[in-house]
Amino acid sequence: MNKQRKNSIVARLWTDRWIYIFLLPTVALIGTFTVYPVVASVWYSLLDWNGFGDPGAFIGLDNYRDLWNDPLFWNSFKNTLVFLVFAVPLRVGLALVLAVILNGVFPFVRLFRTGIFLPVVTTAAIVGVVMRYILDPTGGPINFAILETGIVDQPVNFLGSASLALYSAVGIWVWKWLGITVIYWMAALQTIPRDVYEAAELDGANAVQKFFRVTLPILTPFTLIITLITVIEATNVFDLMLTLTGGGPFYSTEVIDIFVYRHAFTSNIPRLGYASAAAIFFAAAVTLVAAVQIFLVTRIRKWRKL
Amino acid sequence: MSNQNKQIKLSRRAVLAGSGASALMAGMNPMIAFSQDLPTLMWWDIYQPLIPLHQKIWDSFAASGQAKVEYTAANPASFMQSLQLAFRSGELPDVLNIPNATPAQIVSLQEAGWFAPLSDVSFDKPFQKAVDAEGFTTFGGDLFSFPIFSPRWHFASVWYDNEVVTDGSSLGTWDGVRTAAKEATSGERYGLLLPLQFGPRMRDTLIDLAMAAGSPGTIDWATGEYAYASDHFVEALEFLLSFQKDGSLHPASSAVDARQGRARWAAGEAALFFDGPWNSGVLKGNFPDMLAKTGVSGIPTPGGNTAIINRGPITGTFWVSSQSKNPELASKLLSELTTDDYYIGLAERMDQPPLDLSAVGRANVHPTYKQIVDEFTQTVFLAPDPLLRNPAIANVYSKMRDVTPGLGEIIQGAFAGAFDDPKPILQQLSDSMSRERERAINAARDEGAEVSVDDWVFADWTRGKDYAG
Repeated sequence: MNKQRKNSIVARLWTDRWIYIFLLPTVALIGTFTVYPVVASVWYSLLDWNGFGDPGAFIGLDNYRDLWNDPLFWNSFKNTLVFLVFAVPLRVGLALVLAVILNGVFPFVRLFRTGIFLPVVTTAAIVGVVMRYILDPTGGPINFAILETGIVDQPVNFLGSASLALYSAVGIWVWKWLGITVIYWMAALQTIPRDVYEAAELDGANAVQKFFRVTLPILTPFTLIITLITVIEATNVFDLMLTLTGGGPFYSTEVIDIFVYRHAFTSNIPRLGYASAAAIFFAAAVTLVAAVQIFLVTRIRKWRKL
Repeated sequence: MSNQNKQIKLSRRAVLAGSGASALMAGMNPMIAFSQDLPTLMWWDIYQPLIPLHQKIWDSFAASGQAKVEYTAANPASFMQSLQLAFRSGELPDVLNIPNATPAQIVSLQEAGWFAPLSDVSFDKPFQKAVDAEGFTTFGGDLFSFPIFSPRWHFASVWYDNEVVTDGSSLGTWDGVRTAAKEATSGERYGLLLPLQFGPRMRDTLIDLAMAAGSPGTIDWATGEYAYASDHFVEALEFLLSFQKDGSLHPASSAVDARQGRARWAAGEAALFFDGPWNSGVLKGNFPDMLAKTGVSGIPTPGGNTAIINRGPITGTFWVSSQSKNPELASKLLSELTTDDYYIGLAERMDQPPLDLSAVGRANVHPTYKQIVDEFTQTVFLAPDPLLRNPAIANVYSKMRDVTPGLGEIIQGAFAGAFDDPKPILQQLSDSMSRERERAINAARDEGAEVSVDDWVFADWTRGKDYAG
């Protein structure tokens, strides 16, 4: 009988009561600032609400149906995917190359590491504003440089051209966050035992062979984790994109975050329910991508153990 | 110990002396003594040029012992977001303005309970009564707001640097403006700068240019149909795009809003700038050197004939918030904005022209402002609005949603090369607007409102005449 009581949930809760008491503040904070907004967003997505007054009428899944038929939603979905497809491999790949270089020992290596990390600690919104001046077609230093060197004979409108703006934003985002990915890679590189390289050298491997035959295979699990983190970060580019282009010109840089913001705040007659539906829909899509990546990581780990 | 006592005695003397001085001051002006106890009215708006004029009113209001005013200047491009967040958190200011307000927006906000009725505001002079209308300033017979500005103005006067464009008379035609821009483009200076990033401003400018080309406006009042795809709109957009084709458009146009664009134009980066009458006031305040060499020309037309611009009824300018703890005080403060002295002072700030246009003649204003307001009296006419004829249209307006891409985004897209032919996109806008209006009409009918598309048809409207309905 005693044993049964000991094993009961109540008994275990009582035994670990201090753990749960100390967890309470965290649970309260996460509940208030994470769980509640998510649940509220799901509820709002079922309402026709302009945000001017009290939450509006319940309309079921109408917002989701409108979303499905809204070409501008799919445009923003596409822009987000294009951003992911270009920005994630560029950031992850470039950071790996830089990490391998900066993992070596050469003069001013610390200076280079600091220089690459510096944009990470700069506020994204400020980067967006500053980059507008740096990329300005008249007087911006980038255009000044490419005009002076004769690469082009007319200034390039990096942010004002519908065909260029998204790729310009990709470049800026990769530059801004490259440093943190370099740090991830450098930490991963530290885990590779030195004797593996020594064995490869004894077998006559050159630097390129060591990279592709030793470094890369050992880093595979890290690659998946770093890519997963980068994918999730690449879906949260609101601050940079809003200050850089505001989603324009003509929706060419309107990623999902900006689409949601536009419908929730900047429309003459906002649609908070519709904006919430878009956010929920996209969150489900990102969760799906993350789940696929986690599944792949697990499978690869199992495969490596075989 | 004795030292301590001495210090206390001295301190008491100082306190007594201070109190005596305060009492004396209070006797001379009782309000100074109690000014810290006055209630504070929060006032948010986008009218920076009006601050000195309003500051006098606020100071006088505080000196008369009624309330202090705490003012916040807002950027028109982001002000509405601030107001929405403030409303939801119960932090709306006592007095606010709705930037670029449309009747639909005002009706929606009124339905959501944003505004409080005004009390004890006298708004009954003939020119005041002429703009007092249900759904625009009045709801259910109660006055909620009133316009301080005249409806007779437009966004598309051509402002120029008269050291670069020496012959302003050539700017009356579209070709003249285009030629002047081409001739002014030289080195690091471009002919024209457009604030393309500010979609609503570009939308309003294009609508005015389309009307100058002969359009009745966004709605053809003879048929009640949306007119975005008419030749006038296409021609007006092509006129704006021609500057880009000519190479006379400032390349940074796509990245600037109206304020940034004006600053770059005033810095000499462009010779021409389309702007409203407030440009005189902003230049006087921020770029006085530029004002000295600024010329202005009325809205250009394709053939050089006098433009006909149609302006619908206008909504109120300032509103007392329903969340105000002192709505009577806020109303009393707003009543100061209906006097003749105020209209003269308003003219002297050189923002939008005052509701009483005759005040401009009695005011000390820059010649560019007087010239442009004179032009408004010749070119701007009062247009109809279905809400005036049928108050039930408020129900439709409150249900209408934004249609995207809107005219502002279409202009941005045309300049960014997102499409080659704007006509199908403009047709899509007209069709989408018609569908959205139909949907809103049906939704309003479901609630019992007696409305139809025919409410948008004004067969008795004549272009070039004030609609008296």
